[in-house]
Amino acid sequence: MKYLVTDDSKLARLSLVKSLKNVAGDVSIFQATNGLEALKVMEDEKVDVVFLDLTMPEMDGYEALPKLLEMNPKAKVVVVSADVQTKAKERVIALGAQLHMQKPINVEKMQEILDIL
Amino acid sequence: MQKFTLSEDEQDVLQELMNVAYGNATAVVAEMLDAFASLSIPNIKVMPTKELLQTFQKLKESSYFFSTQAFNGEFNGESAFFINEKSAQNLAKHLELETQEDLDDAILELTNVLTSTLTTKLAQEMSTEVSFSLPSISKIPLSEIENIDTFLQYSQVIVIDTELNFQDQKINGNIFILTKDESIQWLKIQLNTILEQLI
Repeated sequence: MKYLVTDDSKLARLSLVKSLKNVAGDVSIFQATNGLEALKVMEDEKVDVVFLDLTMPEMDGYEALPKLLEMNPKAKVVVVSADVQTKAKERVIALGAQLHMQKPINVEKMQEILDIL
Repeated sequence: MQKFTLSEDEQDVLQELMNVAYGNATAVVAEMLDAFASLSIPNIKVMPTKELLQTFQKLKESSYFFSTQAFNGEFNGESAFFINEKSAQNLAKHLELETQEDLDDAILELTNVLTSTLTTKLAQEMSTEVSFSLPSISKIPLSEIENIDTFLQYSQVIVIDTELNFQDQKINGNIFILTKDESIQWLKIQLNTILEQLI
């Protein structure tokens, strides 16, 4: 399995990668700091699961989400955001995300996510 | 006076904690107003109080009024919320308020919910608690910005500035979290502890 963690915050990426390694073990994890970088990773790698933040510079998650799925329709996108408004959740699900999860993602939440996927 | 700065990593951690806290606060206010807000990336700076007052002076030109709320604990300081004239009118329209008294009351309640949720969540992310002293929130006339005693007691402040933006209702405001000098050192230790736990 290949995973892509996209967030402009180093803390958020470190925290998510740590939880992911804890639950999924030794898997391939790529990192991107915004939507544009995520698209570049997706060009080179057949990523299975994308963890995607919404509020990022250059290209935000809302813009990147449909583009990532267009490049790899089989990829599963988990939006990981501080934006917990109902309309934000509805919007990302309508754009094709599998899940919308509230930050931060600890080990328990990561287990829950991987169980669902 | 010791001059504090935040390293790139400390700034990143604080920004991310603020993101999470702001996301929670926005959701509460969005529900209260039955509206959807867009989230902006918080801007974080350590600055002398003089510079902060200059920033406030610029905002003053287009503001309706601004309100402040002090918070106490290991993490202590003050939050300030500016809402501009047009946004205040749009808020009145959105909530169907008819008198200025009702509008002022609504803005104070909005500030209260927004800033208390924000600071409480931010403190929680740093494994501490904050309390709010009474009167918990005050309306400050724009003409008094430069004379506010509470701001003058700080020599340096960490300013976390972000924007509340309800696009459909055309309501936006600026939120500032100001931390006192003695709190900055505590904050730096907390931010580094959080980071070390992940590496």
